[in-house]
Amino acid sequence: MADETFDPDLIHAIFKHVWTRRYLDRERNGGNGAMESEAGVGTSKKNRPTSANAHALKLSCELLRTFVAEAVNRAADIAEAEGVTKIEATHLERILPQLLLDF
Amino acid sequence: MYNYFRWFPDGKIVFAAPSRPLVMQQIEACHNIVGIPQEWTIDMTGQLSPSIRACYWKTKRVFFVTPQVLEKDIQSGTCLVKYLVCLVIDEAHRALGNYSYCTAVREVMSVPVQLRILALTATPGSKQQTIQLIIDNLHISTLEYRNENDDDVSPYVHNRKIELIEVAMGNEAAEIYNLFLDIIRPYVNKLSTFGLLQNRDYQTVWSLLGNCLLSPVDLLNSRDKFRQAPPPNLPHIKFGEVEASFGALITLYHIRRLLSSHGIRPAYEMLEQKLQQGPFARFMSKNEIIRKVKLLMQQSLAHGAPSPKLSKMLEVLVDHFKTKDPKHSRVIIFSNFRGSVRDIMSALANIGNLVKATEFIGQSSGKTLKGQSQKVQQAVLEKFRAGGYNVIVATSIGEEGLDIMEVDLVICFDANVSPLRMIQRMGRTGRKHDGRVDILFSSVLLVLACQGSELKGYMRKQASGKAIKKHMRNGGMNSFKFHPSPRMVPHIIKPEVQLVELSIEQFVSRGKKVKGDQAIETPVCKDKLTVAESEIIAKYFHPTSSNLGPSLIAFPHFQTFPSGVHKVVHSYRTGMLIDLMQHLQGLTFSRDGISFLEDEVASSKCLGVQTECEKKDEKDSLILDDIQGSKSPKQVTYSELSPIGTLRTKEKHSMPHFYETSPAAHAYLFGSDFVSVDALGNVLIVSLPSLPFEELSHSKSTRVSNTLVLNHMKQDSFHLKASDGNCNEITMQDKAVAEVTTSQTTYIKNGALQISSLCESGEQEEKMLDGFENILESPIVKRKLLNDGHIFSETLDVVEIKELSLLADEYNDDLRDTDLSPRLTNLVKSGVVPESPVNESGLLNSDERNEFLFQDLASPDKLRTEELTKSPNLGKMERGSTDDGTTGRNVSVSPVNKETQTPLLKMKRSRGRTILSPVTEEPETSLTNVRNSSSSRDWHLSPGDKSENVEPVRKFKRLCKAVDHGKNRNPLSMNENTVVAGVKLARSSCDTSSIQNKQGKGKTKLMEDVRAFIDEEAEVSSEVEISDDEEDDQDHNSHDDSFIDDRINPTAASTQIASGGVDMMAIYRRSLLSQSPLVRQPDFSSICSPDSAAPMTRTSESGSSSGKTLYSIQTPQIESKEQSASKNPAPVRINQEGITSETMPCATTDSIRENERSMENGKRKFSFYQSRSIPAINLEQQFSLQSEAAGIESCQQSEADKIETNGDALDDDQFYEYLDFDAVEEHAALLLKQKSEFTMHKQDITPGPKLQNLGVNDSPSFDLGI
Repeated sequence: MADETFDPDLIHAIFKHVWTRRYLDRERNGGNGAMESEAGVGTSKKNRPTSANAHALKLSCELLRTFVAEAVNRAADIAEAEGVTKIEATHLERILPQLLLDF
Repeated sequence: MYNYFRWFPDGKIVFAAPSRPLVMQQIEACHNIVGIPQEWTIDMTGQLSPSIRACYWKTKRVFFVTPQVLEKDIQSGTCLVKYLVCLVIDEAHRALGNYSYCTAVREVMSVPVQLRILALTATPGSKQQTIQLIIDNLHISTLEYRNENDDDVSPYVHNRKIELIEVAMGNEAAEIYNLFLDIIRPYVNKLSTFGLLQNRDYQTVWSLLGNCLLSPVDLLNSRDKFRQAPPPNLPHIKFGEVEASFGALITLYHIRRLLSSHGIRPAYEMLEQKLQQGPFARFMSKNEIIRKVKLLMQQSLAHGAPSPKLSKMLEVLVDHFKTKDPKHSRVIIFSNFRGSVRDIMSALANIGNLVKATEFIGQSSGKTLKGQSQKVQQAVLEKFRAGGYNVIVATSIGEEGLDIMEVDLVICFDANVSPLRMIQRMGRTGRKHDGRVDILFSSVLLVLACQGSELKGYMRKQASGKAIKKHMRNGGMNSFKFHPSPRMVPHIIKPEVQLVELSIEQFVSRGKKVKGDQAIETPVCKDKLTVAESEIIAKYFHPTSSNLGPSLIAFPHFQTFPSGVHKVVHSYRTGMLIDLMQHLQGLTFSRDGISFLEDEVASSKCLGVQTECEKKDEKDSLILDDIQGSKSPKQVTYSELSPIGTLRTKEKHSMPHFYETSPAAHAYLFGSDFVSVDALGNVLIVSLPSLPFEELSHSKSTRVSNTLVLNHMKQDSFHLKASDGNCNEITMQDKAVAEVTTSQTTYIKNGALQISSLCESGEQEEKMLDGFENILESPIVKRKLLNDGHIFSETLDVVEIKELSLLADEYNDDLRDTDLSPRLTNLVKSGVVPESPVNESGLLNSDERNEFLFQDLASPDKLRTEELTKSPNLGKMERGSTDDGTTGRNVSVSPVNKETQTPLLKMKRSRGRTILSPVTEEPETSLTNVRNSSSSRDWHLSPGDKSENVEPVRKFKRLCKAVDHGKNRNPLSMNENTVVAGVKLARSSCDTSSIQNKQGKGKTKLMEDVRAFIDEEAEVSSEVEISDDEEDDQDHNSHDDSFIDDRINPTAASTQIASGGVDMMAIYRRSLLSQSPLVRQPDFSSICSPDSAAPMTRTSESGSSSGKTLYSIQTPQIESKEQSASKNPAPVRINQEGITSETMPCATTDSIRENERSMENGKRKFSFYQSRSIPAINLEQQFSLQSEAAGIESCQQSEADKIETNGDALDDDQFYEYLDFDAVEEHAALLLKQKSEFTMHKQDITPGPKLQNLGVNDSPSFDLGI
């Protein structure tokens, strides 16, 4: 399983990227408004960027892997039905709504 | 334990250890030794809430608990005592008194449960009695004693060297020590005189004191004894003195011991503290010796007073770390007092880097030193293990159970402790045994003892320990009394010793350690990604994801069925989405049909425009020119697809504009809009949400919007193709048939009507709402979007339609005009339902045109009825898209016919109207609409005699109103419509309804006349053999009629009542409902009667009647449709089609509606109102007929009367008046095309009453809705 799934490092890097970005956004927003002062006690924790522990990261990898695999497979079905050998964006768009609802 | 784990698969095993760190430690140790699967084990401490513990008690099998938890859970019953098979008690020497071990075991034993209790301890006790107590408390049956010399223990015991270092006490300390003796002496003497010191005479006591062998414990025991049983000869007054003496003694002894074992500083602090407060201060403050001692101590402390023990200890430590690697060697220094711990710490701080020391003390916070919380303790141990510290200075808390492998030196700072604790202290070292790793550490137990008394104490305790060991030998059989315990394993089974190699998974500790792992991991993760990779990540994960994502709405069709899945199954929400999309798509299907019809209509309009262009020179050249001018852009727009939508929207706009005059009208419009979604289409739908009708309309509107969009798309594509085909066909027809002129005229009329409507709409738009336009724009955009997806299907449909049209053309030889309608119908049918159209076309071919029309109409009607019946049967869902589609198509077919017919009529009338009153566009439109409906029917008739039909139609309307005309026309229609008997029957039903309405109105005469006409028609129809289908239709109609009748009767009653002013609300509702269907029916009937010549119209009427029935059921939609139809011919058709298509959903919804009629009533009311307002036009005709019949006055008079009545009459009257006005207008337009002023007046009047009506309706509707 570990071989097939995404590299946790990659996922973690992506997560980290998003988290830090959000953290920066929040800080920016917080700096402008009075939120920071109002938050008071809880700020120390809120100010820290989100983090994930190893297990959560593993799970995220697996979830993403499943999601991508499912998306590709479904899109492939559509493409196959159309007689095309290449999955295109439209194929993905067709299965996307249901796919998103399935996850 | 492992055996029990295997033997008793259901059994629970409990391992109890006294402290939390020990519990954590043991669970790991047990796992590593015997490999009990971790999923069965759980460690539970007081930190877990009882509820969670209860859960664990049920699910797990091996429990590592603290005794308190065990006790509590057994008492609360959450521990499943009956499943217990093995209870392991670590550090069993604590099982004394009321400790949790004892109570837990007692609880367990009180339940008759067979279990094995295994108690482990390294230090059972220092006395035989205590060991016996433990054995009693824990119900021990066998005692297994091992010492370090035994075979099975020795492999695990490593060299342990006990070194006793004697340190001489400093001079000052010794001096103070002796001074303390002086202080103590008098108190001891006093107590001894009272005989309270345990049977010892003063001398013994003194000797004991001198040797420091009289411990505070002894004094405490004496005091307790004194308190419990004071000597009888002692006077009570002395009690206080004795107590004080005891207290002072104890304190002094304590201080003295501190002095001897830990040095001056702790003793001095203790003394200082004691002297500042409490009884001791009072007692001793006057003692000079105490002051002297204090002074001495101060002096020595001022010198720095290095304690010899401390210096020795430092010496030993430094030596130790010189020989051992400071990184791998660990030292524990035990001291009994925190004060000395602090001293040691401060001393250690001076050594330097070699020693990294920390203190390890208990939780309780003393006065001078703060305790360490368990968390801090854990952290200290963690660091100690990891190497953060290599020296721990511990109090007694560190004595028990700490499993720190690397400790190879233990220093006991004070030797004067119980042998029990000495053994425990010793146990801290020499543990570096992995069994396999045979690294022998020359572990050292270093005991620092002071000369003299301390040393003696130590020696004594060692001796007593040895005595106990003797007791233990031989299993203690001789010394202790044991408790029998049952054999747990059945005797049949003889367990054999077996050497099993256990493969043990790596222990994964819970909680804290995971965090540590992650903390280590994350930085690693960071490092693994190269800079390029992180750049890629940064590139693809923009902070602002402005990238165009995939569209979720691009392929709505693909959401109507579940997509194939790979591994992830569809969720419930996906199912909901699919259902919803199917609903929407189903509607779209039906609406597609509608759209086709609309397209056809548009094409017909285009054709008409073309014909108009051709015949510009002909009649109404001026008007035509205007029309042409308007049409040419329109045509352009048609070619552009979107323009069509705009035109329709304009028409729709015009419709709304009429109503917009009054805010109430808006509501009507909205209601009608959402009901008649097709006609009003986008605008209405858009507007609907804003209205209060939102609840009802939302679902509909959403569907409608989708369907509308689709329709528009299809329409657009359709229009292009259809327009071409239609144009060709029309041109062909024009050339071939002499009657083409009529058709052309009709077309022209249609075009004119359209133009007029467009003009009106344009004006209205200009005048009216800009928001509508905006709304329209948005829908258009949607249409465009949808167009791409739907074009293919549309094109296919178009092709089919063209083919069908060709076929129809071929078949249609006689009257191309009529053919056009059939063709249109055929086209529509073909477009909508490719299958049915062929049959119909075949039928058409075989039979006469009329018959064809009839059959077609009838078939659609039947289909409609069937569909209607089916749709409710099928349920409210439109999943049966095919059925719905067919129904919608059928419906659409009929509307097409109507539309085709209507345009002609409208054209005719529009001509007159356009000529007469271009100014009065609104009334004209309404009139045209009404006329169109009638004209459409007439138009069907017209193929044979268009002019006649038109005239008759008008006459019929008038005549129908005035029975004679209707009769005259009816016979004509009868003659013409011999084939149309079925239609007539339908008409008859309609007529009956109308008659009933009339009856309700009290116009019996008219009713009778109508009935007679109907009868005649029925006879004719009976004569006609086509009756089968027609009869079916009639049956349906009759059913519908029955419904209608029922409603009509109440409505009539209600109308009467309304006139009476009783139960206005209910009456209004009923009247509205009944009236709307009735009115419509009458309209249809009136139309039918005029259309008697035109079976097509009648069939369409029958369809309409079915639609009416549907209307009656679904009145709101029908009404809205009617309204729309009445307003704009094309919209009318569209509306009808839409209605029919809607009827499907309506039918489906009908059941729902019926169920929810209360709710629906409001809607219906709205719709009724709308229908009234719009249908009012239709109704107006009827009403006008009625009014005319009643009044039999001239149109003007009737109008005047009506106007008057409007002003005076009730709401119903107003409605009627409106109808009358419209009818009057129509009459005026039709008959004489009277002065525009009249129409203007009428128009003016009509809006007013409409407004009133609307307002009135609104209020009642609300009430009714409630």
